[in-house]
Amino acid sequence: MEIEVEEKEGYQVVSPVGELDIYTVPLFRKVVLRLEGDRRHDLILDLSRVTFIDSSGMGSLIEIFQKVQSAGGDIAYVVANPRILKVFKLVDLDEVFRIYPNLGRALQSVGVTGGYVDEEFFSDNT
Amino acid sequence: MVADLSCAKKSLIRARSKVIKFAEEHGFLKEAEDVALAAQEALKNIIQHACPADYNMHLECIADGDRIIVEISDTGVGFDVSGVTNTPTPPMASHGRGIQIIEGLMDEVRITSDQEGTLVHMEKMHKPVS
Repeated sequence: MEIEVEEKEGYQVVSPVGELDIYTVPLFRKVVLRLEGDRRHDLILDLSRVTFIDSSGMGSLIEIFQKVQSAGGDIAYVVANPRILKVFKLVDLDEVFRIYPNLGRALQSVGVTGGYVDEEFFSDNT
Repeated sequence: MVADLSCAKKSLIRARSKVIKFAEEHGFLKEAEDVALAAQEALKNIIQHACPADYNMHLECIADGDRIIVEISDTGVGFDVSGVTNTPTPPMASHGRGIQIIEGLMDEVRITSDQEGTLVHMEKMHKPVS
């Protein structure tokens, strides 16, 4: 698994690539929780390039959600893969997490606009 | 398809690919990924909770007409099935999501468990590819 981290106007955008499961969760947790550290951070977890998720992966997302919330931070999720979204729905996390279909929508929702053009968003509204 | 797997994380990838291959070879193209994830969750429960004395997990896949059947068994310590099946798990619960995912993905799930081990029987009906 590769994990890309990019800062956009105060939000850390974390983008894991590959499978988020019992094998890769330790690395994912390590990267995100180290990033979170003792400081309050606002996060966007961009899961659009996650190809597979299991209950361990879902557990890690819940742990991160709770850490960010308890620190008073903001967190949003990008889920583009219908198979991944299906697993979110199976465990009712689609009712708890703020989920967006692409990064552009997530950034717009949290108020990060600097230079980012969401072509799909604009094409939907033409 | 029958496979005996060592009770270790490394077995999960092998099991998942075996289930997907079996399902696709028997025409369960749309169901393959769901069945494989359900199997992985059942096997993961063995690794995390059952500790079978023989360090072994048994996986069996059967294609029976329009349904695919997966049975996963172990000779571990067993558990109280009534406490985990058909019970809604709160979204933020610290555990219990594996069974919830299995029940959501499969059409029928039966779990029997005692001090001599556990059997997870799962069935998924075939949906024609549109």
